[in-house]
Formats: sequence, structure tokens, C-alpha cells
Amino acid sequence: MPISAAEPLLDIHGLEAGYGKIAVLHDVDMTIGAGEVVTLLGPNGAGKTTLLRAISGLVSWNAGGVTFAGQNLAGIGPRETARRGLAHVIEGHRIFTNQTVTDNLLLAGYDVPRAERDARVDEALSYFPEIAAKRDDRGSTLSGGQQQMLAVAQGLVRQPKLLMLDEPSAGLSPVLVDRVLAVVTKLQKTGTAVLLVEQLIEKALAVADRVYALAQGKIVLQASTDEADLPRRLEHAYFDSEAA
Amino acid sequence: MAISSESAAGAMQEKPLAGIGSWVFAGPLILIFCLALPVPFVTNDYWVLIATRAAIYWVLVGALNLVIGFAGQLAIGYVALLTLGAYTTSVLVAGNVSPPVPVFAALAIAGVAGAIFGVIVGLPALRLRTFYFAISTLGFATIITQIALAWQSVTGGGIGLPGPEMPAPFHTHAGFYFFCLAAAGLITWMTANIAHSRFGRGLIAVRDADVAAEATGIRKARLLMMIFVFTGASAAIAGGLFAALQTYITPDAFTFDLSVLFFISILIGGRGSILGPMLGTVILTLLPEFAAPLAAWSTFLYAVLLLVIVLVAPGGIAALLDFGNRRALQTNRTIVPKAALVGHLLTMDKAKSGIALRGVVLSFLGVRAIDGVDLDVEAGKIHGLIGPNGSGKTTILNVISGFYGPEAGSIALGGEALKPGDSESRASQGIARTFQTPRIVGEASVLQNVMIGGTIRGQSTFVESLLCLPRHRGDERTLRSEAMTALSAVGLESLADIRADRLQHSELRFMEIARAFMARPAFILLDEPAAGLSADETLRLGQFVKAISRQGTGVLLVEHHADLIFDICDYVTVLNLGRVLAQGTPAEIRVHKEVISAYLGG
Amino acid sequence: MLASIIASGLAVGAVYALIGVTYNTMFSASRVMSFTAGQLGMLGGVFGSLFVLRLGLPLVVGLVLMLVCCAIVGLVTEFVAVRPVLKSLDQHLYVLSTLALGLMIQQVVAVEWSTEPQAFPRVFGIGGGGILDEKFWLPMLTCAVTICALELLYRRTLTGMAFLAIAEDNFAARALGLPERNLRMASYALAGMIGGLAGFSGGQLLLAFVANGPLLNFYGFVPVALGGLGNNRGAIVGGFALGLFQQAANFLVGGIFSSVAVFMLFIVVLLAAPRGLFGVHLARRV
Repeated sequence: MPISAAEPLLDIHGLEAGYGKIAVLHDVDMTIGAGEVVTLLGPNGAGKTTLLRAISGLVSWNAGGVTFAGQNLAGIGPRETARRGLAHVIEGHRIFTNQTVTDNLLLAGYDVPRAERDARVDEALSYFPEIAAKRDDRGSTLSGGQQQMLAVAQGLVRQPKLLMLDEPSAGLSPVLVDRVLAVVTKLQKTGTAVLLVEQLIEKALAVADRVYALAQGKIVLQASTDEADLPRRLEHAYFDSEAA
Repeated sequence: MAISSESAAGAMQEKPLAGIGSWVFAGPLILIFCLALPVPFVTNDYWVLIATRAAIYWVLVGALNLVIGFAGQLAIGYVALLTLGAYTTSVLVAGNVSPPVPVFAALAIAGVAGAIFGVIVGLPALRLRTFYFAISTLGFATIITQIALAWQSVTGGGIGLPGPEMPAPFHTHAGFYFFCLAAAGLITWMTANIAHSRFGRGLIAVRDADVAAEATGIRKARLLMMIFVFTGASAAIAGGLFAALQTYITPDAFTFDLSVLFFISILIGGRGSILGPMLGTVILTLLPEFAAPLAAWSTFLYAVLLLVIVLVAPGGIAALLDFGNRRALQTNRTIVPKAALVGHLLTMDKAKSGIALRGVVLSFLGVRAIDGVDLDVEAGKIHGLIGPNGSGKTTILNVISGFYGPEAGSIALGGEALKPGDSESRASQGIARTFQTPRIVGEASVLQNVMIGGTIRGQSTFVESLLCLPRHRGDERTLRSEAMTALSAVGLESLADIRADRLQHSELRFMEIARAFMARPAFILLDEPAAGLSADETLRLGQFVKAISRQGTGVLLVEHHADLIFDICDYVTVLNLGRVLAQGTPAEIRVHKEVISAYLGG
Repeated sequence: MLASIIASGLAVGAVYALIGVTYNTMFSASRVMSFTAGQLGMLGGVFGSLFVLRLGLPLVVGLVLMLVCCAIVGLVTEFVAVRPVLKSLDQHLYVLSTLALGLMIQQVVAVEWSTEPQAFPRVFGIGGGGILDEKFWLPMLTCAVTICALELLYRRTLTGMAFLAIAEDNFAARALGLPERNLRMASYALAGMIGGLAGFSGGQLLLAFVANGPLLNFYGFVPVALGGLGNNRGAIVGGFALGLFQQAANFLVGGIFSSVAVFMLFIVVLLAAPRGLFGVHLARRV
């Protein structure tokens, strides 16, 4: 899908962020258009998770700016960004194990008007029939893959404009990874933009429109996924980032 | 813009600041005692009694300062020991259970009883978390009071008994005052000696960076027990003096409010300081006198003061008086390590052959973090350890450091097995390390932080430090000059007296390396030392690490910076999912297919 | 005699259990143990006596007012003593700030109310002083009702589920967009009310006495230590066990040494099982 000439949905420029004294992200620029699937790749410690956290407001920035749907996200915390249509599914499929699947989804819809909540829960479950069958089961009884699906479903309850997924494939079997990524494609068709952080390069490139690579806190590669020779360029970017 | 560097020879001489520093420290303390001396001559008896009370409180609080301010153990119920000392002394002098004992002997016996009871009260600190320990001390305070009430035949129960009478010339108000003042002076001197010894630094290390303290060889249990003995004895002797002051004691002289006063004096004074808590004690003792109509509210005011300090100025009076650390620091500081100095630091006998791991297995919550790993770190070589997140790199370091014992497999150093799980011995066996996130004592100076690394090489005993005997002084001189050399080697000598928490992240990383040197290790484990460093700093770090290995020290380097690894390592091990994926020279690893796909996610 | 020990043991045990629940509720919301939990129990008794006996208000009004006041004290705890220190990395600060606040509360009551125990009103007027007197079964009834109400809250209401969520995984709850700060404040208000109820229902046993503050701080903490932090079921069991043990010790060795006995038990259990008998998994240090 071509990037529209109009304002992008998410616009990051010159972002500097970190934890306390430790600066992780340096001068990061990124744009995501409405309905685009963008994948963010990079070696460990590069700062991918930190970037997602900075966008959703879990981590504060030192410099730069982030605009979402035309509004500035400066100083805004995760509750407000979620309200504005930016859903962040954090890494590690951290769902609430002591509560049922339905309750987990209801919690995701905490700020959704009460009348609509049940409908939204049903809608989110419709993407994942495997866990829809386990609506009343506690989170602790779900397998790792099912918990990951539940975490993604939580992100969908808000009907976000942009869904950010942090390594949804971690610890999942290949079959389940394909299931989750198939949902990403389905979402794209409904007009939801997706920012996918991944370790599995081939699968991520297959499902995305554009790719960014992050190494040591800086963007070292930016391309469309139909460009040639991407795997080699990525390897270069990962291992020889000083030269880049 | 680099800070101008000193010549290698210049780095070896002792900084003159050390001498001035001790006068800056001792000056205000001496001043307070000088001001206290003329009190009986310029005021009336009432104020002499108040001043005596303040001095007696300080005998307890000064020692308790080591427990609360330095060791960070929140012993809230310490009035228990005051009570114990008061009753023991009074009962012995009165002759209720034995023939009457002379006052000074009774005080000494009370001191011994206090030492024993101090250990009992303190023991839970080794096992319990902060809040639990605080509550347990409250329980002790209640129990002692209950026993005093119940054991009527000995303590007189609710009626109480007379306190000891001091012999001439201490039986007058002025005479007793000077005696207590001398005791207060002695406690000040002794605790100041401990503060400036490896024991005092060891305490603050245990308080603020306990994992790093273990890795530098500080034995927490032994250290805390010594402190509890000393503090228990002092508190009990203070109790005996208190009984003499009161002339008659009953159980309700020992209220919870007193415990609160002791505790809060230390905290508003500031942790890690001697002067602060002393001022705190004087202020809190005198406060009710000046605010007489508010006497009923005195504990309320203490509590308000405590809350204000915690919220607004957690460093207390000491931080407010710390003018040295108000000076602005240059903003564009760069770190310029001097690899040439490394030779002065690492001249230990390098007979040890290497660290060897064989078949090490370790799981957390049923998941195998390390799944049968063989690893060799040779002396004089740099061995890189890389791998994706969750591959087990830091866990391997933690097993070598002794924080975890493996379920299977062995670790050996120089052919001899290393005891699994024994983290406190690693430093003396020649293994030092740095941490993924710097573990330092923010409130202490950079120099003190580095000196903590040399704790195991000190020779003086606790008592020798307490009394400032020659071996203690020699220790301090040596440790100080070695620490300055280490700081010069990493390029941080100009920041030696600055509070560590004012340093930039990258400077803290180099400071940790300087600290690691102090133990004269045969092997250094570096956990992601380049994280958060700029490209320039990473280059200099690389050169520095190479210099370390050229001295014969073995280095195990865990890193994400692929270029640093390929640049300086002699040998690389790649981990994935807890197993060794590949081992070889950097050139071999760089083109190894499986390694590339593990990183890129095949 | 046995009946009397059981009655008083279970009654006072119910009060201790509820204070344990107060500690747990504050802990679940913030990972902080607060020295104001016992003070809230004391306030429950003092406010009850103040509103009903001294000011002559009807009992129900007095109860409601007490709940409101205790909720406010809970909110003040969160705002003044907990929120500011959560941001700091220093582990020990919350002990000091809540200790300071607890002391302030205690001193205000000591000066403005009384340092001596004051009478507490009869609630229903049932029982006539024997072992079936309301002063024994009222705390037990309150404990049972409170536990049931909490279960309903946590299982059936979205707010209650949100409390459980921030207790289980605070970071994930924040990332999901849950209003973590408001939920924490609400938890503290709730904890305040539970503490107040404990003191109110136990008022006829413990009287309106300022010394109940530190007493309940300790005796209310023992169930938490035994049952494990954050574990309400453990706190209930621990509370009743403690109550029975204490009354039995009272009878066997006398009032003074019973507190020694309780304390010995506390220390021995903690040293043997520092995470409580029902163990709570602590995060790794390294």
C-alpha cells in the first residue's frame, strides 16, 4: 500500500530516550501511515522495546517529538495514548494469569463505554477462535502461545488505529507464529496500522510493507519490503553498525 | 575537551586533599565538643542536666548510627538496649541479686550484656527484609519493658529501683557531665574511625549495593555481627549512665518515644555521616526545652521532621552541609583512560591457569537458562561471550561469580574447584567483576566506592580500626593511594571526591572497572561494559581492556556490541538458548552461518 | 474456660486478620508495607467512640462517618507517604515515611483525644456479657462479611478486577491503559475502611485506646508475616491462629508473658520461613 501524501498516522522525529542516566535511543526518525504494516528489526540491546515504550508513554523522552493522528504525544502516559487509539502489546505475553480470558479482555476495555464492552470482547475473540473456546478459563491454564494470542486480543479490544506488537513470536512454535502474523494481515485489511517488532526476519518481511532496522539506538536501515537484497543489507546493518 | 592528564609518576603520589579532608571532617566535631566544655560554668544545673542527657543519648545514638545510618538496618526499637543497660547496672549496684558491684564494673558488665543482647536483636537482620526487621526490633522493645515490669523481685516491677550513684569526682552534676561528655567524645572518635575504615565502607556497600559487596568479598554476616556487638555494648553503657542521671528508674521511663528520638536523630542527621546524627541528637534533645508549651507535641514534631526530611531532603542535615558536592561539574567531560598505568595495578602473581566450566546446567522456574555449557577463560586472553537475549550470558557470569550454584557440572579456577554459590569468596580467589547496571554507592564519593573494592586486602581488625591503631592507619593510606592510581588508570582521578551519583553513566562503568582492579584479580568478568557508551568511549574501553589482558589478567567479556567483540577478543563463545552454538576466533565467528542466523532469527 | 479462650481468641483474631488484610490491600496496590495499617485500626475505635458516645450521633451515622474518615486517612497515606517515595530507587524510604505518618496520627490522637482507654458504645445490645456477647461475635461477623464483600468486589466488578491486575503485574496493567494511579488511591481508601472496620468491630474488646495503634501494627502484621505478603487467605488463617494462641498464652502464663510468647513465635516462624508459611515468590536479586 503506498504511503499517502497526507500526514502520516505516526510521526517520530529526533527522538532521544532512555532509562534514567542511560541513553538508549539516539535521534530516531520514523513514520507510519494509516493502514500500513511496518516492521522494526534489530539485534538485542538495540532499543526496539525502548522505542515502543517511548511511543506509548511508558518511558519518558529526553528530546525529539512524536505525533499521533495529528496530536502531540509529549508527556502523555499509556492510559491516554491507549484512549487515543494507540495499543501497545508488550513483550513476554504478560496477561493476568489469575483471571479468566474474558476478564482479561474486559480489563483491556476498562475505558470503553460499558454498553459496548461485551461486543468489543466478542469482536477481539473472533480473531482467535482457539481462545474464544476458553473464555471462562483462567489465564494460567493457557499455553504460552494461547497467552500470546490473548495479549494481542487485548490490544484489539480498543479498536486501535495503530497496534504495536513487541516480539509476538518469542517462545512460540512456527505454527502459532504464522497464526499470529496472519492476524496482522487480517488487521491491515480493516485499515489498522501495525508496528511489528520482530526477531524472525523472513516472516516479518513477508507480512510488512516497510522495514526499519535499529542498532545501538539508531536507525541504520529504512526500506520498502519489496526491495532487493534485504537480508544481506540487514546483516551488514547488524554487525557492522559502526561502519554504517 | 579532555581533562588534562597527569603523568604516570604523578598519579602515584598521595593527593594532598587526603590530609585536608580529615580536618574538614574533624573540625566541626571538635568545635561542638569545645562549645560543650564550658556549659557547667556558664549555665545553671538544669541546663547541665539537659546537656548530660544529650551526651548520654549520643553514646547510644552514635553507635546506633553504624547500624541505621551505615548498615541501613532500621532498628527502631533500640530503647530495648537502653532499658537493659539501665536495669543491669542499677540491679548490680543495688545488690538485688549479688553482692553490690562497684559502678564502673557494673557498667562494664552491662556492656557485655548489651553486646550479647545486641547480637540477639540484630540476628533477624540477616534473614529478614527491612520492614520485617523494623517490626521485630519493636517487639524486642516491648518484651524488655514487659520483663522489667514483671520481674518484680529483681527490678522492682512498676515501682522501679534507684539508679547507680557515681563515685567522686563524678557525683556532682558538673563532674558527671564531664564524664558523659568524655564517653560521648570516645564514641564519636571510635565511630569516626570505623567510618573511615574498610568496615565502615563495607557497611555502606552492604546497605546500597549488596550484590557488589558480595562480589568484592565483603562478608555481610560477620560485619553486621561486629557492629551489633559494638552498638549493643555502647547502648547498654548509655543505659547505665542514663540510670545514674535519672537517679531512679521505672519501666515507663523507657518509652517508645525515646526509640523514636534515637531513630529520627540519625535519619534527620543523614546516613553515612557522624556530624549529621550528632547535630540531630542535640537538636532533638534540646527542642522540647525551647518549645516548652509544645512539650506534649514533641514526638509529633519529630515525626513531622522525619516526614519532611524523607520527602524533601532524604540526605538529611549532612547533605545540606555538604558544600563540597554543590560545586558544579564540567558538563562535557570525557573519559581518558591511561592504559600505561594498568601495569602498576595488576602485578599479582599470575600462576593461576584459567577458569574452566564443564557441563554447567542451571534452571529458573523450570526453564533451563544454561543447558550444559563448557567454557574456558585463559589467563592473559580476552574471551568474548555473545548471544541473543535470554541465551544465558549474564547467568554464566553469575554462576562464575557464585551468585547461583549450578544444578550439574563444575566450575574450577586454576585446576581447583570453585565452591558453588559462595559469592563472598570469589574476590579472595582472584575473580572480580562489573555489572550490567552499575552497582555503586551513590551517596559515597568516587574514591570511597573504589576503595570498597580493596576491602579484602585490608589487614587491620575491627578493634584496631576502632582504636585507630597503626595498622589501621597504614591500611587507609595504602588503600587510598591504590584507589587513586586505579582512578587515574581509568581517567577519573579528577572526580575522586565527587559523590558517585553525580557521575554520568559511562563514568560509572569505568569506576566499576577501577573498583574491580583493587582486589588484584587474576580474572575480570565484564558484563556489557560498553552499554550506554559513545563510540569514542567504546574504542577507549577496548584499548583499555586489551592493556588489562596484556598484564596477564584473563578477561571474560559479555557484550552486545558486535564490533567491540570482533575488535579485541582473542576467542569468542556464542550462546543460544543456554547452549554453546559456536566457539572460535572472531574471524571464524563472524562468518559462521549458524551464528548469523541465530542473531537474524532463522 | 476453654470456651472463653476460644471466644476471645477468635474475636481478637478476627481484628488482627482484618488489619492483616489492610496491610495486604495497601501492599497489593503499591508494593509498600505501611505503618499506618495498625493506626487505622486504632482510629476505627476512636472515631466510633467519638462520634457515637461523645457527639451522641446515631450508631449508623457514626459508622458511616468513621468509614469516610478512615478512607480519607488511607488516601492521605497514599498521597503523602507512598506516592512520593515510589519514584525513588531507595528501598527503605517508604518505611520511614509511613512510620512518620503513623506516628503523627498517633500523637494527634494522644493529645487531642486521650492517652487513656475510653469506652466504646454497644452496637446491637445483644448478648449480656457471656461468651455469646456481641463483643465476641461482632468482629468475627465483620471479618466474614468483609471477606465476602472483597471477594465480590474482586471477582464481579471491573474495578475489583483492576485491583487484582495491578497487584499481579503492575507494568502490564499500565501498558494496557489501566488508570494505575487512581486504582492505587482507591485501594488505599479501601484499605483505610477495612482497617477502620476492624477497629470499630473490635471496639468493645480493645476499647478506644491510642496505644492500640502500635499494638495493632505489630499484631496485625504477624498474620501477614505468617501468611505471606499479599495473601489474604493466609492472613485470615494467621489472624485467627494468632488470636487463639495469644489468648491461650494469656491464660497459661499471664498477660505480660503472653506478648513475649507471641513475639517468640513471630521471630521463630520468620527466621524459619522468611517468606511466610505460604511463601510468596520474590524477584531474583541478580
